[in-house]
Amino acid sequence: MTDAIRIRSLTYRTGREFALRGLDLTVPSGSVYGFLGPNGSGKTTTIKSLMGMLPPDDGTIDLLGHRVPDDVVPALARVGYVPERLHLYPALSVDETMRYHAAFYPRWDAREGDRLKRAFALRGDALVGRLSKGEAGKLMLLLALAVRPELLVLDEPTDGLDPVVRRDVLSAIVDYVAASKATVFISSHLVHEQERICDWVGLLDDGRMVAELPMSEFRAGVKRLRVRGASAPAGAGESAGAGLGAGAGAGAGAGAGATIATLPFRVLARRTLIGSDEEWVVRDWRPDMRGAFAALLPGSTLREVEDLDLEDSFVELLSAARARGQITTDGREAA
Amino acid sequence: MFDRIDPRSPTPLYAQIAGRLRVAVAAGELRAGDALPSVRALASQLRINPATVAQAYRELEQDGTVEMRQGAGTFVSCVPTERKRRDRAAEARRLVQEMLAAGTRLGIAADELSRALHDAMQETRK
Repeated sequence: MTDAIRIRSLTYRTGREFALRGLDLTVPSGSVYGFLGPNGSGKTTTIKSLMGMLPPDDGTIDLLGHRVPDDVVPALARVGYVPERLHLYPALSVDETMRYHAAFYPRWDAREGDRLKRAFALRGDALVGRLSKGEAGKLMLLLALAVRPELLVLDEPTDGLDPVVRRDVLSAIVDYVAASKATVFISSHLVHEQERICDWVGLLDDGRMVAELPMSEFRAGVKRLRVRGASAPAGAGESAGAGLGAGAGAGAGAGAGATIATLPFRVLARRTLIGSDEEWVVRDWRPDMRGAFAALLPGSTLREVEDLDLEDSFVELLSAARARGQITTDGREAA
Repeated sequence: MFDRIDPRSPTPLYAQIAGRLRVAVAAGELRAGDALPSVRALASQLRINPATVAQAYRELEQDGTVEMRQGAGTFVSCVPTERKRRDRAAEARRLVQEMLAAGTRLGIAADELSRALHDAMQETRK
């Protein structure tokens, strides 16, 4: 088994609204997977479904080789889970909370728990209800790590924490990964943190996976181009990027016209700058395309290839996906 | 030493770490026999994926900058002076290219940059 998490066509409705619309997600074993998406895109719903807390309306979920929710229990013993919100009893002390938690996990490692308690400077007799937000965050991570999990599932683990605590939390996660080779699944909208530690990225929007790929490809393949004199057919305009999608094939966006559609990379967005200069955001870019650009689009010059960081790429991919969604629902797809 | 490691830079993190260490060796900041931090320690310190650090160390091992001794750790090798000179030159070239690219973006020509560099050097000498 090579995938720690495998979700296919997952659909979940809250009332008449769709929270997840046919979500596909694959987390390879041993990866550190960053699950990115804006607030309200369905990250927490996905994680709750994964942990067996929300039965899917459609689709399948496999967690460490076990089908969820029917067969989730044996998988959960091997998963360390840090939920989005504090889920602990405020009247228990830190030590009591650790003992209580240990009772549910046969793999609980008391020595590791004590080591982390010292590393996080948590007092054993402190009441959970009196902990600061940062201390509570550390305690939740401690509980997840002392289980010695094969898979660590973290829902916004650093959200709302101050920079010092955030560093401690991330260091502890990295240290655990280095020592254990565990798989980590981190949801967050804090893109820069993900950029440091993740080697896979899944980008969620409106209950769908917009893009899922190794971080290195994500970083290498999404670029901003400055193009002069591109003679694209009228109407291609903003929607030239219709071809974006997690899967291949959608590439030749119908509204894009012949020139753009036949390019070996995908244009996510086009904006007019000054004069005949345009700014393109592209996906699937390779360095050798720079030299071949004039041949690909006769009459045009490629003036600059600019690298994008994860946050820029994130924003561009999202807006392209949303533009595509509107085109489809409006039925304006055919040019 | 790694305060300039920037996850937002287009250069992959492993290449930044390898590059930084290579320059440290070339400039004499690290000497033959010095121990590098363990993969786990450096990853945790920098809060980056341990695989990224391991990849950087592998690259440095392949080009002869460091050697990995089983069970003992990773140590700086004895790098020939000529190699160090080339590594320093490569780093200087990289810095200049960065500056040229920034100039292009802002519409400042290479000869203007060159003049400014020259002036700045004169001022430092005084």
